[in-house]
Amino acid sequence: MPGRNIIEEGKHVLVRLPSEAVKVILLKGDSYISLGKFGTFSVTGVLGYKYGQSFEILENKLVRPVYSLIDDTKPLLPEDSNTFSENNQNLINTGSLVQKLSTQDIEELKKQGKGEDIINQIIAGHDSFGKKTQYSQEKYLKRKQEKFLRRFTIEYLGGSEMLQYYRSKDPQRVLDMSSESMGLILSYANIRPGGNYIVVDDTGGVLLYAMLERMENKGSILVAHENEHPNLIALKYSNYPQELLEKMVSNVNWLQFLEADTQRPQWKDYPQEKIDSFTPSRRSHYLRKKRASERVNHILDTVEQGSFDGLIYASTIYPSTLISKILDTVGGSRPVVIYSPFKEILSETFHVLQNDHRILAPSIYETRVRQYQTIIGRIHPLMTAKGGGGYVLHATRVIPKEGGVTAVGRGIKSKRLKVIDPKADTRQLLKQ
Amino acid sequence: MSFLHYKDIIEEGDLVMAFISRNDIKPVIAKSGATLNTRYGVFPHDLMIGARYGEQIASAKGYGFIHLLQPTPELWTLSLPHRTQIVYTFDSSYVVQRLRVLPGSRVIEAGTGSGSFSHAFARTIHSNGRLFSYEFHRPRYEEAKGEFEIHKLDNITLTHRDVCTNGFKVDGVDVDGDAVFLDLPAPWEAIKHLDEVVAKDRRVSICCFSPCIEQVVKTIEALTANKWNGIEMVEVSGRKWEAHREMVRDVDEAVARLKDIKKRAAAGLARKRKLNKISDEVDNEDADIQPDEDNDISSEEPSGKSETEPNLKSDQKSNQDTKDRGYNPFGKGKRIREGDPAYKWINVTRSEPEVKSHTSYLTFAYRNQ
Repeated sequence: MPGRNIIEEGKHVLVRLPSEAVKVILLKGDSYISLGKFGTFSVTGVLGYKYGQSFEILENKLVRPVYSLIDDTKPLLPEDSNTFSENNQNLINTGSLVQKLSTQDIEELKKQGKGEDIINQIIAGHDSFGKKTQYSQEKYLKRKQEKFLRRFTIEYLGGSEMLQYYRSKDPQRVLDMSSESMGLILSYANIRPGGNYIVVDDTGGVLLYAMLERMENKGSILVAHENEHPNLIALKYSNYPQELLEKMVSNVNWLQFLEADTQRPQWKDYPQEKIDSFTPSRRSHYLRKKRASERVNHILDTVEQGSFDGLIYASTIYPSTLISKILDTVGGSRPVVIYSPFKEILSETFHVLQNDHRILAPSIYETRVRQYQTIIGRIHPLMTAKGGGGYVLHATRVIPKEGGVTAVGRGIKSKRLKVIDPKADTRQLLKQ
Repeated sequence: MSFLHYKDIIEEGDLVMAFISRNDIKPVIAKSGATLNTRYGVFPHDLMIGARYGEQIASAKGYGFIHLLQPTPELWTLSLPHRTQIVYTFDSSYVVQRLRVLPGSRVIEAGTGSGSFSHAFARTIHSNGRLFSYEFHRPRYEEAKGEFEIHKLDNITLTHRDVCTNGFKVDGVDVDGDAVFLDLPAPWEAIKHLDEVVAKDRRVSICCFSPCIEQVVKTIEALTANKWNGIEMVEVSGRKWEAHREMVRDVDEAVARLKDIKKRAAAGLARKRKLNKISDEVDNEDADIQPDEDNDISSEEPSGKSETEPNLKSDQKSNQDTKDRGYNPFGKGKRIREGDPAYKWINVTRSEPEVKSHTSYLTFAYRNQ
């Protein structure tokens, strides 16, 4: 897969820092990227490495490749090299007095060089470091690493990374969607090359971007939206060429979608002589309008055909009232996947769908990933994690039998009698 | 290739997932003349051939129905014959997302097991990707091989092999894997063999799937020793919710009902005393006890609804339903359908009665060498 392997100039990438913060940056050749307190590096230094490579910032904005950002598997301090306490009995909180180095000293050190040296000096300047327990020393060191290690990792900006970036900035912007919920949506929606999907995306295009990644340039997506133009802000970081996006992604607003009869652009070609007589700017304006109306009509045609390969819904518009209006556009045996940060909203929708014969077996799923510390001998779940993550409703669009069909179950006998012999009921009543 | 491509009309030889109920989904190869027998009736395959995927069909007798669904890896996971413990969608969807498995990916999977995850991998890597799957158990290998052929999953290379002793190399093929999934009892024995088959020109990601923490420890040690970095271990907990309605049972109505019961009891007592009095008067003229009028506190109406509501609700047939229970705001003694508009309801969600509280630990790592 070209483009996803090697760090190249001109691409948007994800930068991961020891503090677990993430950034999206554009790798412009001959430019410098500032990572705030972690330092500044020259873009040329990272080009040509594989995605996933970690670097350390040296003097003069140069970098050197390092094995990893932080090694999470072994204790940071070798077992026998340090003094430590069995417990914290003798550890007394003296506030800032415990550190011999002043803030100014540390600032000075930061200007000079390597993060490891700073950390070593801070430890040397720490009066009661030896009075901490081994576990406490580890935690202290890890905090200092997150702060002073001038390291970073460059990762390919895929769907998960884009989601992580936006979620860390402001969870609401991606409807608090977790990466595991996104994975579940993409699996249940059966996203694959060649599909023709309809998506309602209030994550600013993050979900759309993740879908495109699973389609590998094949198929199409119709974005239905509530404003005059769709908000697909995340696509500005995508490394897809504009032509490809235009080819695969089209959009329609709810007015056009739900009232297609009255919203179709009526287009009549002018006679060729008249077009020939236009000034060049008038002609290009005319052709642009013609193309636009053709495009809208084409989109409305596909809506009317009603054969989308899946409906993917992650919107703040109340799904309970909207979904039934768009169900007819989804093909038989195709998935309907609705995401919401709130289980209550999906519960309402569930009830609506349960009474709709075009829908089979709705279920609400909740998926949560719990991360563990991986230091051997000290494996336990992390003490804190992100809350939220959202819920996913999945159902299948089906085609009910015309005229209905009697279910087998309670009351089948009397229902059958009703169907087979209209007098049966009276006879039964007379018997009673 | 229906796991990889969409199709609208069912043809002879197509795989159909017959949805009988949530817990009963039967994979069927449509074959003219054959029938599918279910507890909801008999369904001749000829009713399926020519039908649209997604269609609801009635049984030969005209009542009882099933839905004809298109196969997907997720449906297959629910219906497949279990040969081993399988990887469910909560785990598989996360692993696919985390390992960045995409169209064109070259995935290494060991062991194949029941082939549940193989289907999900095959769907996502699609026609231009390749799944190298390894199974050391001969009968399981044979069954999976047959299944992949019937399902036309020709992007899977299945090998009968114990990867822990014999590694992952496939004759005449450069495996060049960029994502690895190890669902083995001892993944640490297989990790050292990965060097010769993983891609050199790009980052490779791995997920080891083990139920026990002791396995995780050994896995982490092996990954570190073999130059895998960025190790992370997680656990996925998935839960399925059903939406229901729970009756809103207001305490004011309970109080009103209690008052009604009390009033009716007092009325009943008075009636009984009156009857007793009459019989006493006949038997013994000395006893003459008057009912205490002051004690009858329920002379006021408990609620405006009490007279009309029970009648409105009691138009049901069964004997117990028609028994007069007085003011009956919660339909006591009646068979009430969830959501009956005669009562007040609140929407609630309920978890499955039994949940998979632990499947396995997922240990992820990367290799940049």
